[in-house]
Amino acid sequence: MTAVKTPSRALAIESAIFAGRLTTRWRRNPLVPLQSLLFPAILLIIYYLLVSKSMTRLTGGDSLDTVVSMCALAGGMAGSLAAALAIPEERDSGLLSRFWMMPVHRASALTGTLLAEATRTVVATAVIVGVGMMLGLRFHGGVAAAALFVLIPVLWVSVYATAVIVVALRFRSRAVLTWFSTLSLGAVFGSSGVAPIDLVPRWIRPVVQFQPMSSTIQSMKALARDGFAVQPLLWMFAWIFGIGLVAGTLAVRSYRAAAQSGA
Amino acid sequence: MTAVFALTERQIRASFRNFDIVFAVLVPILTFVGFTIGLRNVIDTGGVGYSQYVLPAVVVQAMLFGALNTTDLAAAEKSSAFGVRLRTLPISVRAPMIARMLYCLIRGALALAAAFAVAYPFGFRMDGGLLLGATFVLLSLALTLALSFGAEATGTRAKRSDTSSQLLLIPQLLLVLLSTGMAPVDSFPRLVQPFVEYQPISQITETLRGFASGEVVASNLTMTLAWCIALLVGFGYLALRGQAGRR
Repeated sequence: MTAVKTPSRALAIESAIFAGRLTTRWRRNPLVPLQSLLFPAILLIIYYLLVSKSMTRLTGGDSLDTVVSMCALAGGMAGSLAAALAIPEERDSGLLSRFWMMPVHRASALTGTLLAEATRTVVATAVIVGVGMMLGLRFHGGVAAAALFVLIPVLWVSVYATAVIVVALRFRSRAVLTWFSTLSLGAVFGSSGVAPIDLVPRWIRPVVQFQPMSSTIQSMKALARDGFAVQPLLWMFAWIFGIGLVAGTLAVRSYRAAAQSGA
Repeated sequence: MTAVFALTERQIRASFRNFDIVFAVLVPILTFVGFTIGLRNVIDTGGVGYSQYVLPAVVVQAMLFGALNTTDLAAAEKSSAFGVRLRTLPISVRAPMIARMLYCLIRGALALAAAFAVAYPFGFRMDGGLLLGATFVLLSLALTLALSFGAEATGTRAKRSDTSSQLLLIPQLLLVLLSTGMAPVDSFPRLVQPFVEYQPISQITETLRGFASGEVVASNLTMTLAWCIALLVGFGYLALRGQAGRR
């Protein structure tokens, strides 16, 4: 008699094993933790020192909550990119095809990656919020708001990592990945969270106002200040859902194509 | 010398394939536009337009970013089979390094040209005249060379080049963002003001800004020259040492 596990539990266990594989790799080659923990924490301190006084002069507040949100998002994204640098090599060495042949649920390599990314981002965001609290960040919206504050980068990074996997599998080039990172970090720092929107030149205002990171950073800022801001939150979830849907579909297809290419 | 030119040509050709030179031109453009749009109404520079104020910091940032790529380049070349092959050829042991440094200077000059090209429409002007303008270029290139020596010295010694160049990104950000190249010293919290005021990037960006506006302060110029010479000699020595007869 052989014990037959239910498929859903098998998927969960196998995802955890695939996630464990990535965590081990990240421990051995510390580029990924470096990018997702040390880099944003230091960026937070530096950027805060640079703009806090000027922002206080302009708006009356030092906008620490905004800077913390930005650094949490930027750090998570930078970490995903550092992690994705290994993907072209895994594809070329045939490792992805090998996973495809193993008697495991075929989604588990992808879900495992996302699980590892999400776990890493929880830790990284907690560290960044910790650093922010040392600089004087306080949550006035209660525990639920604080929890959502940490959850937002996790959701975004899961979606973002899916998109990065698509880019890494489709283009197979480090340069394209670097471009993608420049673009996304540009989106974080070029959002309406950085400076009041009327200080941005008029012609670029619509882009700054409606790009995904603006509603995200506004939501996070509101969560830290007084609670739930409905409109930015709805915008943000619409973006997360939309990008997630497109990137998820493409990721499954690219992964299958890469795994079956045999090379 | 022909070996040096051939190897330099090879670097330039390779840089189009791996986009290094494309990034070298784009980085000053993107950082300038980003800093100017994001911070020009946030930071009070006391009468000077922010594009005039921040351009030296953009130039220095571009040179530092180029140096990070040089670290990767030097590490990859040193450990590659091609690098080993070069050491068996009847050319100077230092020829590959000199070629990389020449390439870095060419790349630095292109980055500088890109920075000027993007800053001009935003209102940056070289008010100091032709001579001081030439000094601006010369000082920027001297800094590029010094930083490239540093990158060379790091790259040839590093075991994990991708990690080390990422690690170097942190001090780079620290020096550029916490300098008077980004904001006048008064807009920083009092605690970090001494560091901000006297660290080399602040001194160098101030000298460059002085060259651009035509007002050079002697004490600041001396400090900058001292930093440049110290970096050139120190890093140059380390870079040359790194080339000597090792496998």
